[in-house]
Amino acid sequence: MTTTTGPTVDAVLDDIRSMLVRVLDQYGLDDVEITTATTFHEDLGLESIDLVTVGSMMTDQYGEQVNLAAFLADLDIDDVIGLRVGTLVDFVHAALSGPPRTGS
Amino acid sequence: MGMIEANGIRTHYQRMPARNATADKPPTVVCVHGLGYDSLASFYLTLAAPVSQAGIDVVTYDLRAHGRTDRPMSGYRLADFVEDLRAVLDGTGVEGPVHLVGNSFGGTIAFSFAERYPERVLSIVAIEAEPATDEWARKMGSTLSNVVDWMQDQQVLDWLELTFGSHHARLSKIAGAMIAATTIVEEVPQGPLLDAAAMRGIRCPVLSIVGSEGFQADDLTAVASALPDCRTEVIEGQNHSVLVERHRTVRELLLAWIEEIEDAARPSAVRPSYAGRVLT
Repeated sequence: MTTTTGPTVDAVLDDIRSMLVRVLDQYGLDDVEITTATTFHEDLGLESIDLVTVGSMMTDQYGEQVNLAAFLADLDIDDVIGLRVGTLVDFVHAALSGPPRTGS
Repeated sequence: MGMIEANGIRTHYQRMPARNATADKPPTVVCVHGLGYDSLASFYLTLAAPVSQAGIDVVTYDLRAHGRTDRPMSGYRLADFVEDLRAVLDGTGVEGPVHLVGNSFGGTIAFSFAERYPERVLSIVAIEAEPATDEWARKMGSTLSNVVDWMQDQQVLDWLELTFGSHHARLSKIAGAMIAATTIVEEVPQGPLLDAAAMRGIRCPVLSIVGSEGFQADDLTAVASALPDCRTEVIEGQNHSVLVERHRTVRELLLAWIEEIEDAARPSAVRPSYAGRVLT
């Protein structure tokens, strides 16, 4: 199986942290600590529409290979409400590190 | 993230092109979300990606005063929402008639749009949605008035948080802020409403998906009875939140429906398949 070499987990976390800071900045929020354990809704106070923005940022940064909408559509609503930053990091890292996806 | 000027409103939309398309010209599904704290995220999180991966163009947008779309102080009659939808279709370059998928109030918009612009609608999938009848206006007016009262009552907000969690309480506050800043409560129920003759004029095929415990629990087939060509699918044990809580079921119903409608318009030799092509 052919695999491609993607960014490290830490590099992806830095990218996502940067995206979330930009979203939070729209609400005038700064100095928010963001770790892999941080929850998107409860800790950051963000809403579903903010996930759409993050999804667009991911596509801009990584290309169509990272399809957040497709990933989220496989989750149940409770999993989306409890979504952690670490889950997003793992998703992006896997999408960029795995074999090139075809047909999706 | 896409932004267009639609009917004078700066409007946020998302377009997911058909992937793995087998048809020369893929069908287009346009998703219209509900009122209050809803946004296009309800479709982005559930149907949009799987449906596009099944070979169908998907367009969804935030209604005025919702999500990332601008919030004018007034202009919230149903007719305004119908013209917004027309402007979104024009502004995003959607060609030909489309399948409209409407959740709750989004379905109400879809019905009125189909009555106003029948040539632009191939079919409607209405999820927990009713056409804008007198009865709908009465229920909608009552519901919106209750929300206004609740949002001014801290005890109700505390109860919401205790019962449904902080996420739900926060969403309720978002809806309350939108209601307080606009004339939406007064204007939405004004329609214009559809009488029996107008309802019979909605001739496109309609799939009405309802929860057995949802807003239409009193008469699950009332919508089908009032329309010329409507089928009802009941999801047992489900409340109004059909789209987000039962999205896999809705996805299967939607893809099978589109295949059925598209097949009816094509010779059998060139019929692509959409159902069963959900790629994850």
